[in-house]
Amino acid sequence: MSEHRRVWTKYTGGVSGWFVTILTATFCVFASLVSVVSHTPAPYELKYPANFGSRFTIPANNPTTHEGVYLGRMLFYEKKLSANNKFSCESCHEQKLAFTDGRPVSLGVDGSFTPRSSMSLSNLLWVRNFFWDGRSQGLEAQAAFPLTDPHEMGQSLAVSAEKLRKTAPYPALFGSAFGETGVTEQNILKALAQFERTLISADAPYDRYLAGQYQPTAAELRGMQLFENGPDPKRRIRGANCGHCHGSPKTFKELFHNNGLDSAFTDLGREKITSQSLDKGRFRVPTLRNILLTAPYMHDGRFKTIEAVLDHYSDHIRQSETLSSFLQDISNEENGKTLSLKTQEKQDIIAFFGMLTDSTFITNPAFSNPHSTPTAR
Amino acid sequence: MQGIKTFRNKILLCAILACALVTQVHAQSTATLTVSGEVTTPLELKAQDLAAMKQISHKVKDRDGKEHEFKGVALIEILEKAGVTTGAKLRGENLAKYALITAADGYEVLYALAEIDPEFTDQVILLATEKDGQPLPSGEGPFRIITPKDKKPARWIREVRSIKIAFAKN
Repeated sequence: MSEHRRVWTKYTGGVSGWFVTILTATFCVFASLVSVVSHTPAPYELKYPANFGSRFTIPANNPTTHEGVYLGRMLFYEKKLSANNKFSCESCHEQKLAFTDGRPVSLGVDGSFTPRSSMSLSNLLWVRNFFWDGRSQGLEAQAAFPLTDPHEMGQSLAVSAEKLRKTAPYPALFGSAFGETGVTEQNILKALAQFERTLISADAPYDRYLAGQYQPTAAELRGMQLFENGPDPKRRIRGANCGHCHGSPKTFKELFHNNGLDSAFTDLGREKITSQSLDKGRFRVPTLRNILLTAPYMHDGRFKTIEAVLDHYSDHIRQSETLSSFLQDISNEENGKTLSLKTQEKQDIIAFFGMLTDSTFITNPAFSNPHSTPTAR
Repeated sequence: MQGIKTFRNKILLCAILACALVTQVHAQSTATLTVSGEVTTPLELKAQDLAAMKQISHKVKDRDGKEHEFKGVALIEILEKAGVTTGAKLRGENLAKYALITAADGYEVLYALAEIDPEFTDQVILLATEKDGQPLPSGEGPFRIITPKDKKPARWIREVRSIKIAFAKN
């Protein structure tokens, strides 16, 4: 009996040893698999001054993460996303030019030019209607246009995804940013949107002035006053009324106006999107952040210099049915028809524009090309 | 010969003017006002739809410092037509509802529903379609909000294109 019991004990002891070993091994394999598959990307904290406000919406299905932002940055500078492997987003959006390209309109893969000027990319987190005509309601949807437009990067998202699946390190980067869905068309757009949300410009002298940490020069202060004031000749208040549309710490409002460039329109602007004739010739009110870096100006890049822009608003507004009411019958002279700024006043406003140049933004290594500096991560 | 040419020019001018007029009328008639969000009946209203509703008017001083007579439809009537929770239903959580009014240029202003409802206020907010007997001019019309008791006319929003009823959410 005792012999029997001893054998039995030995037998059960043997089974449980194997059993535990197998169980442990299985658990380890399973756990390591789970950790690979469900590794959660680290949330990315978007930092901005309180006076920018928090009126923005990040899609619930695309939270901003460190992995997603890094992948988006890689993609922003990835030439494989273009039909001829020669263009990336950077081709028209260079960091040193506050993400513009210095050209009136931009060259695309097919050798033709875009109908409109490349827009500066900053503080897009707060933008709700993208492009000069406001056609896209989110950064994810926006990104598809330049990628696939035959006159821009000219490659379908399907082809882009296919190319990236075959290119290291993209499969791994998509895996860590988006898990097992991997390299997909939607994930390309999502990653680009995540990176673009981080392009926050909030360290210009104007920001520091608003925070009480910068003393503007006399010219800058005069320019700031003119920028903000609406002219009222009867009360001897001189102004350029810029703030009406470009006011607030972010220097843009979500508005679309016909700013009197033409009296007849070759580009219908927002009317093309809304089909309402009252929107003829309306274009987005763009940010004035880094405005001295983003020449040439206007939706078609017609003005080479900021001086020409001020001359336009001061003296050359063209009448049309949809001309913004903010640009009509506003003058620094009694019964005047034009704004009529003096030369010195224009120079002062340009001095104020210098306060909007954010050198931290245009040199921030987190926004630079990661391909040329592989260790920058 | 000269006379014929002048006559022809006159005809041409008339034709151009007629075209311009038609375009102008067309522009005005295609403008629509949408009412959406927390409504039982989303609306797309044109000037003629509003003209068929009960008309009221306010004599108020505008930005130009002059008194004008604005005529149109009480905003509350439009909200009732869309089935917004007004009157007896404007209680409890519905008091956290607002009307977000957007202009053609994207400008937005907001009113809490209780600011519009006659059970809460004597002020009748107007969606104006006429000023001094004329359709509102471009840049101001075809629809504009007039809120007589707002001292600063920043919420007298011009070129109204949409009214969205929503809950305030935190």
